[in-house]
Amino acid sequence: MARYLLRRLLGAIPTLLVIATIAFLLLHAAPGGPFDSEKRMLPEIQRAIEARYHLNEPLWRQYVRYLSDLAHGDLGPSFQYRGVSVNQIIAQGLPVDATVGLSALALALLAGGAIGVNAALHRGTRLDYVPMAAAVLGISLPVFVIAPLLILIFAVDLHWLPAGDWVAGSPRHLLLPAVALALPYTAYVARMMRASTLEVLHSPFMRTAHAKGLPPRLILWRHALRPTLTPLISFLGPAIVGLVTGSIVVETVFGLPGIGRYFVTAALNRDYTLVMGITVLYGMLIILFNLLADLCYAWVDPRVRLH
Amino acid sequence: MTSSASSTGVPAALLVGALGVLSGCGAGAGGPNISAHVIRVGAALASEQVLARTLDDAPRSLDPSLMTDVPAQHIADDLFEGLTTLDVAGRTVAGVASSWESSADGKSWVFHLRPDARWSNGAPVTAGDFVYAWRREVDPRTGAQYAQGLAPLQNALAIASGKAPPATLGAEALDAHTLTVHLVGPTPYLLELLAQNYLYPEYAPTVERYHDGWTQPEHMVGNGAFVLREHIIGSRITLEKNRYYWDAAHVHLQRVVYYVAPDRSVAATRFLAGAVQWTDSYAANQRAWLISQLGSQVVDSPYFGTYMLAFNVELAPFKGNRALREALVLALDREPLVHYLRFGMYQPAYTLMPPLPNYQQPVPQWADWSDGARHALAVRLYHEAGYSATHPLRIDIDTSIQGSDERHFFEAVAASWHSLLGAQVHVDEREFKVLIQDRVLGKLPLFYASWIGDYPDPNTFMQLFHTGNGNNNGGYSNPAFDRLLDEAGEQADNAQRYRLFEQAERLLNQDAAYVPLYYYATRHLVKPYVRGWQSNITDRNLSRYMYLLEHQGS
Repeated sequence: MARYLLRRLLGAIPTLLVIATIAFLLLHAAPGGPFDSEKRMLPEIQRAIEARYHLNEPLWRQYVRYLSDLAHGDLGPSFQYRGVSVNQIIAQGLPVDATVGLSALALALLAGGAIGVNAALHRGTRLDYVPMAAAVLGISLPVFVIAPLLILIFAVDLHWLPAGDWVAGSPRHLLLPAVALALPYTAYVARMMRASTLEVLHSPFMRTAHAKGLPPRLILWRHALRPTLTPLISFLGPAIVGLVTGSIVVETVFGLPGIGRYFVTAALNRDYTLVMGITVLYGMLIILFNLLADLCYAWVDPRVRLH
Repeated sequence: MTSSASSTGVPAALLVGALGVLSGCGAGAGGPNISAHVIRVGAALASEQVLARTLDDAPRSLDPSLMTDVPAQHIADDLFEGLTTLDVAGRTVAGVASSWESSADGKSWVFHLRPDARWSNGAPVTAGDFVYAWRREVDPRTGAQYAQGLAPLQNALAIASGKAPPATLGAEALDAHTLTVHLVGPTPYLLELLAQNYLYPEYAPTVERYHDGWTQPEHMVGNGAFVLREHIIGSRITLEKNRYYWDAAHVHLQRVVYYVAPDRSVAATRFLAGAVQWTDSYAANQRAWLISQLGSQVVDSPYFGTYMLAFNVELAPFKGNRALREALVLALDREPLVHYLRFGMYQPAYTLMPPLPNYQQPVPQWADWSDGARHALAVRLYHEAGYSATHPLRIDIDTSIQGSDERHFFEAVAASWHSLLGAQVHVDEREFKVLIQDRVLGKLPLFYASWIGDYPDPNTFMQLFHTGNGNNNGGYSNPAFDRLLDEAGEQADNAQRYRLFEQAERLLNQDAAYVPLYYYATRHLVKPYVRGWQSNITDRNLSRYMYLLEHQGS
């Protein structure tokens, strides 16, 4: 097990190197630079700024410099926000995204799981059709429709909850963004759980359990539930990364100080270091959660062996 | 300031659409619904003086020497104060300097600093603090993008070009409270200039000690009516009243919170929910709905900016082809175009300079002609230029990705040229950074080029067309125009200067150097109990003067 983990983690290094290299090259190949603005600067000042951020050096040296800083955990200074490092930006934003994302995940798993399993157990009845129709709606409605709608209802009309902003540790500020983010995932989870529960319920080992005369509740909780989780885990590995690194839409609508929006704005502003930083972070999280997913497979399905 | 069409175009465009649809539903069926947002305002001051405002984008730096964007300027106006500052109506008034005198030729000025001006740590604000900040601004090692703003000061450009040491800048502290300024030429707009962020003073000990980190809340020392308490990048900036501010007795607000809301419909929603009392702007396409909901809480007024298209006169087909350029300028029906596609918010433009008191905009004669006469001339000029139905002009309008409203506007411009002249016009949107680069490289014959004046003077607009100016991306060059501008630069009398600028602008219009489209407008949502502010053309509203009245409802 320890050897397996070590091997997987070491294997991540070349992957990250490839990610960083491609991102670096793509960014520098894109037209327009971080300090281009509508207003032209004097050449001497432009040179000073370029020297400050080492943009005057040959590309290969910038690349080597970046990798060496990266190896020391230094993601460099942001180009867009003067005097702020990418490490600071991530340290400020990631906890916000992680809080909202994990809350949304918990909501999605609890609600989606309950709806899905319940629908499977009552297949073909109203308890199946109604929630599953709602789930289709949930998948179809994009967050940029749901989020403003939630604000209009709960903040503008009812004044129950704040219309946005972030106060660390305040559940009132967490609720709407978490729900907005959770809704589509809830729908996915519900559909997936319904399908896999149906599959498991009709598998031979279930028939055996029934034949042994076990009570249905026990069959469901002890035998059926664990194997139904397999497809969910495949889905959740990458989905969690998306959740905890923030959604640009949710962040913008609720004014959350997360890092999700930088996936777009930093790229548009050619903030090389910030784009690189969040790309590498994203890559690391993907690798990590895929590894966790693999470990979970082994837990839910005894036939899977980790080598 | 450059216009801020840049950083968050994509999500903004995405969201404005969605919110617009949703909010539109509410307005349609019920009709005007102002009653839902009625607020009763009393006469006494509210017990809690906390104001929440929105910013259209995240400031990139809170360092007055380094900031380049409008949101940062708003914050700087609360945290710092120059020799001059703005009053409640946006007029230039005494700031840290209580009085001043200038020499007969207008090239030397002496400023007397008020002795009670203090930094937020209690230290006195001295003439040396201004000299320090200004030298830092022009020192190329600082990398200040606005160093050219100090160009009227002696040696500023030489220093910024690395040809002279910063100590040679035309500013010296005679004593702690007396500052002399030496100028290249008479600069009648100097007092306006001194109220700009790049001429604010800085507290050297903090800047030297913390370098780039000096603008963090735990380190920053300012001399404005407020101090920085919290800065969450891209989200929230909290200011508190500065008890050392020399006029603190007249500052009512105890706290000001700026929320960054790049999506304007988000700002409007927050306003509707009562979470903010003042928005930097609102989404143009929500205007009618917002007015139906909020009535007089929607406040528009003229802004010192012009939205236009520029020709590259060094590229085909516009090179040496004044007739074609003029045909395109004349062919547009600005009134309906601006009214219907910009939601009645802006005024159609016929000149480069937006309205400015005492400046007579040289509006071309054709602006008053009938549509028929104007169209006929446009068609004639188009044919003179060598184009016809069988040989139409084929051209792209190059613009940045700003959102669907802007795209529709340019598509309407293209359609106008097509229907009247038969020109084949295509709207090409590119990323802002790409547009800028292509413009500078001189690749684009016809491109989006709006401009917002840095200070209320024609000079900031006219310089755009001076031969060799760094922002003259269209390559316009007319010796007569340059002479008039240079002459204006030597002129101490403002009325005379304005006449010279008017003449210069007439030349620009005759040469059809650009396509004026409309003048910008400021657009705010403001709660009726927020007082102590007035609309002004530079759209700078200092929190220093604002206060909240007692009220019921939000």
